[in-house]
Amino acid sequence: MAPVGARGMGGVRRENPAMGWGLLAVGLVLLLWFIADWWNQSNPASPGQKLLIWIGFLLAALGVARVAGHLSDRTSNPLLGFVPAGLTLLLALVMVEALLRAYQVPAGLIPTPTRVFSTLWDSREVLLQDARQTVLLEAGVGYLIGCSLGVLMALLVSRFVFLERGLLPYATAFSSIPIVALAPVLVKMLGLDWPSKAVIVAITVFFPVVINTFRGLTEINPLSLDLMRSYAAPEAQTYRWLRLPNALPFLFNALKLGTTLAMIGAIVGEFFGANGQGLGFRIQIEAGRFGFDIVWSAIIVASILGIVWYNLVAWIERRLTGWHVSFRE
Amino acid sequence: MTRLRSPNLLPMLVVALVVVALYYPLMLLANVPVAQRALESGAALECKTALACASQLRSPVLPSPQQLLQGFRNLTFPLTAPTSILPNAWATAGNTLLGLLLATVVGFFFAIGIVASRAFERSLLPWVVASQTVPVIALAPMLVVVLGQYGVQGALPKAIIAAFVAFFPITIGVAKGLRSPDPLALDLMKTYNATQSQTYLKLRFPASVPYLFTAFKVAVTAALIGAIVAEISTVGFQQGLGRMLFENSRASDVVSIWVIMISSAILGILLVALVGWVERRVTPWRR
Repeated sequence: MAPVGARGMGGVRRENPAMGWGLLAVGLVLLLWFIADWWNQSNPASPGQKLLIWIGFLLAALGVARVAGHLSDRTSNPLLGFVPAGLTLLLALVMVEALLRAYQVPAGLIPTPTRVFSTLWDSREVLLQDARQTVLLEAGVGYLIGCSLGVLMALLVSRFVFLERGLLPYATAFSSIPIVALAPVLVKMLGLDWPSKAVIVAITVFFPVVINTFRGLTEINPLSLDLMRSYAAPEAQTYRWLRLPNALPFLFNALKLGTTLAMIGAIVGEFFGANGQGLGFRIQIEAGRFGFDIVWSAIIVASILGIVWYNLVAWIERRLTGWHVSFRE
Repeated sequence: MTRLRSPNLLPMLVVALVVVALYYPLMLLANVPVAQRALESGAALECKTALACASQLRSPVLPSPQQLLQGFRNLTFPLTAPTSILPNAWATAGNTLLGLLLATVVGFFFAIGIVASRAFERSLLPWVVASQTVPVIALAPMLVVVLGQYGVQGALPKAIIAAFVAFFPITIGVAKGLRSPDPLALDLMKTYNATQSQTYLKLRFPASVPYLFTAFKVAVTAALIGAIVAEISTVGFQQGLGRMLFENSRASDVVSIWVIMISSAILGILLVALVGWVERRVTPWRR
């Protein structure tokens, strides 16, 4: 990969990064100036102004590319490494705002970012309550139950060959099933309150955890197993000192994947009936009556919580499996 | 993986038998209280005791095997009726595969960007990853309405949402695949003085095919979920399993929901099997 990477940005690297920052600043100023100018207008911008917006965007995008090419070579600081991504997001938001204003897209159809943020602030109490129901109760409880049952099942399956042969093929087949189809059945079975969604989440995260943990418990260096055998280690000790530590990285992969699945399961479950609160319920209801600023706010809340949750699990992973190859420098 | 190997067959059968044997008592256990309540409320039922009623409730907690069979028959015949499973499953499969195609195009675009330029990777990849820790599915109800406003209708909005959910595994898989050629092979391309596009066409793309199929197996399930959710959110008369699911869920037709759930599970397994079949066709050298 190195030769292509080097050739791909060979031109960029010799440039002064100040050039990149300059381009970015000029582009952003153009865009921001337009937004400020068009703040209270209600008619579409002229073709010349639209051209100006696109030029501004191109300049800023070139600037970001240069800055990114420059930064990515010489920094291992994660905060600095994030600068290009942050700039991209900023540019995307400003560009969307400018475009929506230039073409006067009705706010009921695609709300501008500023409008979304002000809605987010105004309806923060409702959304936080929704998030409590969706993330803490439905996704959180379901995730804990599903993951614990999954680990237990993997332990059983890895211990008894009969179960491995009889159950594991079903588990693999189950992972190709669309979970959304489960949602209406479970909501009808268990009612509209949060436990029905927690069960959906538990089922969703269960199978990846079983499959991954099982792989971790069984894909073991035969030499290590032989060593345990020559120590005459009982089964329990083999698990404690060899199989479980070996399974941790696999387990955490499933746990990280599970955070996403849990959020999806909870939100989709609410599409099929909820007790009047929850992020999925809010999204479904508001999308139906064109309240897209609230929909976007709910999505932002769900996204932020999803990312935080994922990183929390990743942080625990680093604490517990810091010895693993993938974390060594 | 799902292919039956002979040592697995017996244990799998035993497990299936145990599940079937446990199902009936479990069904009775779950339904008897409901049946009891229905009898006490004086509803006009044909059956006399709660136990007898348990297997023929209109909205059972767990449907009895007879009810499921009956439900399957009702929803399968006539084969081509707009309310039967076959045309709906066909529509959903079409949306899913169209979405997978779109996702492949987008996935290749991102993967090439990531492999060819570190600047691209640094500025976009974090957001591509973040978009996956986010419940992308939450966008579906809104995307359907917005796309509908701009005249994008029919299969396309559903395919776009399916693609939106499915492009990430493909991006990561293809990027891995494009980076997988042996450094020696890359050096060989250089000694031939091959251009970038030749390196991609003759070396990197072929090398990424096995990775592409591994990614497809994950992506096709994701795309199916996306397609079903998109169908749920679509208003108006449309075909698809998601639509059926939503309408029967509204009508509280519990047996039908079960039947549709099982059908979409079968569809999911069939789609993964289809990917596996194409894979064996396209990459025969990997066996």
